[in-house]
Amino acid sequence: MAVPDTVAARPGATPSPPTGKTPRRPRRPDAGYWLYLLPGAVMFLLVIGGPLIYTGYLSLTRWSGVGDPSFIGLDNYRTLLTDDVFWTSFRNTIAMIVAMVVLPTLIGLVLAAVLFDTIGRRFRPRTAAALRAAFYLPQVLPVVVAGIVWGWILRPDGALNGLFDAIGLGALSHDWLGDPGTALPVVMAVMIWVQLGYPVVVFMAALERVDPELYEAAEIDGAGWWRRFRAITLPQIRPETFVVGLTCTIAAMKVFGPIYALTRGGPENATNVPSYFAYFTFFKRLNVGYGSAISMVLTLIIVVVAVLFIRAQNRAERRDGGL
Amino acid sequence: MRRFRSVAVAATVAALTATSLAACGGDGDDSGANVLKLWHYESANSAMGIAWDRAIEIFSDEHPGVEVRFERKAFEQIQQNAGMIINSAEGPDIMEYNKGNATAGLLSSQGLLTDLTAEATERGWDKALSPSLQTTARYDKGVMGSGNWYGVPNYGEYVMVYYNKELFAEHGVTVPTTLAEMTAAMDTFVAKGVTPLGMSGAEYPAGQLFYQLALSRADRDFVNDYQLYANPVDFKADPLRYGAETFAEWVRRGYIAKDSASLKAEDMGTSFISGKVPMIVSGSWWYGRFKSEISYDWDSFLFPGNTMHAGSSGNLWVVPETSKAKNLAYDFIDITMRPEIQALIGNNGGVPVAGDPAAISDEKDRKLIENFNTISGQDGLAFYPDWPVPGYYDVLVSGFQGLINQSRSPEQVLDAIAKPYQDGVAEITRD
Repeated sequence: MAVPDTVAARPGATPSPPTGKTPRRPRRPDAGYWLYLLPGAVMFLLVIGGPLIYTGYLSLTRWSGVGDPSFIGLDNYRTLLTDDVFWTSFRNTIAMIVAMVVLPTLIGLVLAAVLFDTIGRRFRPRTAAALRAAFYLPQVLPVVVAGIVWGWILRPDGALNGLFDAIGLGALSHDWLGDPGTALPVVMAVMIWVQLGYPVVVFMAALERVDPELYEAAEIDGAGWWRRFRAITLPQIRPETFVVGLTCTIAAMKVFGPIYALTRGGPENATNVPSYFAYFTFFKRLNVGYGSAISMVLTLIIVVVAVLFIRAQNRAERRDGGL
Repeated sequence: MRRFRSVAVAATVAALTATSLAACGGDGDDSGANVLKLWHYESANSAMGIAWDRAIEIFSDEHPGVEVRFERKAFEQIQQNAGMIINSAEGPDIMEYNKGNATAGLLSSQGLLTDLTAEATERGWDKALSPSLQTTARYDKGVMGSGNWYGVPNYGEYVMVYYNKELFAEHGVTVPTTLAEMTAAMDTFVAKGVTPLGMSGAEYPAGQLFYQLALSRADRDFVNDYQLYANPVDFKADPLRYGAETFAEWVRRGYIAKDSASLKAEDMGTSFISGKVPMIVSGSWWYGRFKSEISYDWDSFLFPGNTMHAGSSGNLWVVPETSKAKNLAYDFIDITMRPEIQALIGNNGGVPVAGDPAAISDEKDRKLIENFNTISGQDGLAFYPDWPVPGYYDVLVSGFQGLINQSRSPEQVLDAIAKPYQDGVAEITRD
């Protein structure tokens, strides 16, 4: 890319030799790119920017959804600070991050490495591909369908308790989604099942681009699987790990479908999450202003988390690049 | 902002309706209207669905040259979008809509529903509906019970006890007529290893049982305080305290399964249909389905000892203020109130509001309607526990899941349900 302005301005840079022509102001080389960004920018304003601003305005009002909103300033936000259900829903978000980001990423890393490095080599590559597809299958299912099916499995008279009865462990039968003590862990388990295929597929694709000579050299030097995993696999696929971490964290923070299908936030708010709480406040309590305030806080937190992720990724890339 | 809202309205309406955006009817003066846009959400084979199909036929016969554009909607679609729909020019001329302060009341207070008072008087709807049925039709600043007519109900519903006659006979249990006899009957079943009362904690049945128990100690004044905000309600006193404590006791005694907190109403219904539980406490909306799906001998009785019962009119016919065919809409409502249509509701397992039991051929159906007429006649319709404030349904579900799980005491549950009630009432009565 031509950068005459910046070169000339840089201290110690060699000035261009005189040519005898009137120096012409160089055309900004990237000005034409804005044209290509325009459709995206217009769509962003229509689909995200406009509604976001309107939601921000509504969060400062009391409004039932019909008639005119009445402006109440920051009252909704003040109420949020002392709302137990709001804080419970955010605590549950941390559980969702564990279930949808931390554990699937860790398990997915190991599974992808095993499938690529061991199964793929010792068996036919098709075997690894078939297993990868099996792990990815829950991602293909509509999440509400998966939720309903798991709801059937976990019912008091569902398949899981039936299985326990059949193998003589009937004492373990339980109302898994109805007991506040077990509902959240069970929902977390379902979410691990739903999420796992995504990191497995991304990490396996990432491993395809790792130079096999690195592994061969490490093997010749006597490195075992765990050593190769730590010293080669993890550093090589770090960019993908950031992508998985960021996208899954955002998904975990705004998770709605599985909660709606499995528990509707219950029992006793044990599985309530901010998105469901906002939906409930909007459409059930008809408190649109308060629901908007919840949505705005959630959006703000997601943006902050995304920015932190991207900055961390950039720092790591600069470090890896030796800059 | 207003423009954005208009866009949202247009998008929602477009998503909801597959009809063209062609204009319908007249333009203000609707005397020349030749289209009636009618929306309701009853399934085609339900009592009301059958009756209203016939009402549409009659309407078409009596209004040659008028096209009825009927669209069947989902309950949730209407519940969540009605405000935006009828605030636009694309809404229907007549629509079935949910009764209550948070729905019909809210829209009436915003001037979105047509005042039907003059029509109700002129066409005699006010005579056909008992005072407790009129409660859900009339709203004053959005609060039901008095004021102008904004809707017309023409079917009713109430909560009763459905029972499996064969299981009763097998275990030597007779139909109870008092609450004490009811508990004795349930003790008999428990002693035989049978959980007597089907339950589902994840939806409305738990809240309705709690309310039925509370109503056994209640009178009309309590209902007016609780539902119409006549006076503040003390949740720590009877009848609500009695309802919560008795519910918890019934769980402890094994009348209600402790692992029913996550079950849906459908689970409870199918459990009864399959003959697994001897009794369920639920509404007349199950009646038609039980009639067609249950293969054993079953029947129903009113919750023993109560004079007040959870129940009300059914949902309402409302006429949006934007309707371009109001007179046609009034004519249609009038047809649904005719004896022929009312009898059709009754003969298909529904509860007509102005039904003549003599016109009902099936003995069991007749009893269903006679029981409703008894309750309605003694001013015994106490509405539903989740009606008072928006979103209270989920509050009650959450609370009673705690009692079924025995993870919360009745005292804690009463605290948990009291605050949202008080906050909601303060919100509604603020203006």
